[in-house]
Amino acid sequence: MKRPSLSMAGLRDAVRSMPDDSLTAIREAALANLDEHGLPTVRDEDWKYTDLSPAIDISNRWFAAGATSTSTDSLAASIEALTSSIDANWLVIANGIIDTSHYEETAGVDIGRFSDNAAPFVLDRPLADLNAALLHDGLRIRIHAATDKPIGILVVDETCEAAVVTQVSIEIEIAPGCDAQIIEYHSSTGNNDHYSNSVVALQISKAATANYVRIQNRRIGHVQTGRISITMDTDSKLAMASFDLGGGLIRNDVDIDLSHPGADANFNGLYLAGDGQHIDNHTRVDHRVGPATSSQEYRGILNGRSRCVWNGKAIVHAGADGSDAKQANHNLLLSDKAEIDAKPELEIYADEVKCSHGTTIGQLDDAALFYLRSRGLDRQQATHILTRAFAADLVSRTPIPQALETITALVDARLAELIQDGMS
Amino acid sequence: MTSQNIESFVNQRYQHGFVTDIATESLPPGLDEGVVRAISARKDEPEFMLEWRLQAYRQWLDMKEPKWPHLHYKPVKFDEISYYAAPKSDADRPKSLDEVDPKLLETYEKLGIPLHERAKLAGVAVDAVFDSVSVATTFKEKLFEVGVIFCSFSEAVREHPELIRKYLGSVVPRRDNFYAALNSAVFSDGSFVYIPKGVRCPMELSTYFRINAANTGQFERTLIIADEGSHVSYLEGCTAPMRDENQLHAAVVELIALKDAEIKYSTVQNWYPGDENGVGGIFNFVTKRGDCRGDNSKISWTQVETGSAITWKYPSCLLRGDNSVGAFYSVAVVNNMQQADTGTKMIHIGKNTRSTIVSKGISAGRAQNTYRGLVKVMPQAHGARNHTQCDSLLIGKQCGAHTFPYMEIKNSSAKIEHEATTSKISADQLFYCRQRGLSEEDAVNMIVNGFCREVFKELPMEFAVEAQALLNVSLEGAIG
Repeated sequence: MKRPSLSMAGLRDAVRSMPDDSLTAIREAALANLDEHGLPTVRDEDWKYTDLSPAIDISNRWFAAGATSTSTDSLAASIEALTSSIDANWLVIANGIIDTSHYEETAGVDIGRFSDNAAPFVLDRPLADLNAALLHDGLRIRIHAATDKPIGILVVDETCEAAVVTQVSIEIEIAPGCDAQIIEYHSSTGNNDHYSNSVVALQISKAATANYVRIQNRRIGHVQTGRISITMDTDSKLAMASFDLGGGLIRNDVDIDLSHPGADANFNGLYLAGDGQHIDNHTRVDHRVGPATSSQEYRGILNGRSRCVWNGKAIVHAGADGSDAKQANHNLLLSDKAEIDAKPELEIYADEVKCSHGTTIGQLDDAALFYLRSRGLDRQQATHILTRAFAADLVSRTPIPQALETITALVDARLAELIQDGMS
Repeated sequence: MTSQNIESFVNQRYQHGFVTDIATESLPPGLDEGVVRAISARKDEPEFMLEWRLQAYRQWLDMKEPKWPHLHYKPVKFDEISYYAAPKSDADRPKSLDEVDPKLLETYEKLGIPLHERAKLAGVAVDAVFDSVSVATTFKEKLFEVGVIFCSFSEAVREHPELIRKYLGSVVPRRDNFYAALNSAVFSDGSFVYIPKGVRCPMELSTYFRINAANTGQFERTLIIADEGSHVSYLEGCTAPMRDENQLHAAVVELIALKDAEIKYSTVQNWYPGDENGVGGIFNFVTKRGDCRGDNSKISWTQVETGSAITWKYPSCLLRGDNSVGAFYSVAVVNNMQQADTGTKMIHIGKNTRSTIVSKGISAGRAQNTYRGLVKVMPQAHGARNHTQCDSLLIGKQCGAHTFPYMEIKNSSAKIEHEATTSKISADQLFYCRQRGLSEEDAVNMIVNGFCREVFKELPMEFAVEAQALLNVSLEGAIG
């Protein structure tokens, strides 16, 4: 099968049809980069298990149709429902357009846009280039005092008849000593083809703490690539939980740079995949100095014809003595048509380190199933209880209490769907 | 142990670094169809073998050297290598050890493997490869009695062409990878083993390799076939003399286990690793693969890798038969500027297949050690089971230890576990041992041996002793 390649002519037209503003020069630079390097393919080691063809196909169709943005009027009800599901102060990016009308001005948080001050972005990867080339505007958030409510960022897209592409770019800075709570929530309406590409840069300053929750509950027609790059200063802390419940083709990249001593990064992820879903989580932690700790645990439940990828990479650079890196990945395969590709990587160039990884792939314990069934539960109920327990361990580690109830409900509902689909 | 002692210990010269002065008849450097034809002609090979080599050569021309390993080295100049070297005495082959060139025997003496003694005392038949042609095979008759065929590859091509035709390239196809294709075109010699149905090979079979002539790549080809219900344990071990230019070694080993058969393949690899600045040393690019073709068959790879400047090697198992079992036990030690990218592949195809991977990597000096492994469970492989344990031990601040495990699981009844740890010898462990009166050297020794114990216990007796000694030489003092 011949894989489509991104139409550069279409992309160029799309970029040049955007209004001439302070981001124009950056768009052109990104376009030139993409022209030179192109998008990654399955021949690139980091993309071995994930083929971007669907994203390229959607993009090309969108270019061909004039690369227009969609109105956000009909999203109002969805936005209302989603923002009221978690008690947070919401910034909304609807169909790629920033909307601050749901946000209440709060002391201690500054909200800006890239267009206010077009600081150069880091264009180091093809998808970041694609993002910069087609970006209407980016969101800049600076948190310098703790807030009562978490800051919520709702990314919601509506799919119309034609294929649509949207870009999201967010820069978040947490000031020294500050304790911040951030929720990133991706959702969509409609079942048509849509591709969204997000780039988030999170900077955690000295002795600051970031509590970060990411929820992805897109529709099945949705293709999403997203990268969050996190830099951590001395004695800073990160507690992150990521939930991938929906989406057709999802690729998440988490990059954490530990260049200062005393940093502590803890991040976990849960992915639930059923028929037609492909969820790829790539994480990379660069331990550049010690002492610093990183620990991650990802869990997956796969049913139907689904495929999930988990690739964790911990790199301990020369001289980073005192680094402590832990990786864990556990998967439950509930269907013979499901596939999991796991790759826990360690690259270590220092000796005063503690690094470990553990990966398991298996299925529900027959004895546990039997126990529940002998007490009168049917197979479906028993499966639900056991998978729920498997997921609950991660759900309970959600670092933002305000989000816990909604996440529990979303995970439960998705599990019930997955199991029902698998049994029918 | 003072740090000076440690230094001197780490910097021990390679003990097996000497060159035996025997005139060799080498082909001029370079590779083209003429060279392939010349190799085949010198070996008096049948037409099918020449054709096979030529096809491999043509395929090789279209292939590219792999770039994915975690290795850094100057590109190999394939046209500067001589593809064939044979000891002079090839013309009139010795019938027994007494007729063997005394210089050759002396070489083995220096290596600490006196053939006479070894053969008699250890009950081991040795098919010694000196450069590219086998010169002595012992215990052949004893093996012949039970129907075991154990001979040089060249001999097998002449005497048993039907077996060669049937099995050669059936596990590692000619164009499997760049080095396998090169080997298929120019392989010099190697060992051939056939164990007939129901036979348990009465002794452990062993081959000692030596790369001797300068500028000569050595391209062994080993083929082991265990017919239904048979059992064989095969030992491979190597040392090489000191040399300044890098030498290329690209071997291919194919194992075939039919129904209920078992093959145990053990390797101690101690080739010249280059000096402390990374000058010289062997480039070891090896393709080893076992095919558990029949139900209930078993293949196990055990390796102790201490030598070579660069090692690129993934002994693998194709678990095709139902209930077949694959195992990989490895100790890889790198010191100074050595680099190793090694591991295994376990491909589960049959039902209820099981595999075990135990990999112990030890890095010292400025060396880089990489474990790269694949566990793949195909959709039809119900009930597959894998356990992988890969541990790294770091000795010193400038070395590296890396793990790249791939797990591709397409069956929901699979049970896969993977664990890995990386650590250094802790001050506490050392203190504990020292407190009980052990010298620092002995303490390190004991800890490293303990670290590798799971692998050593899989080695046959003869090798276990040698392996421990090798580890001590390679590492012992490396802690500082």
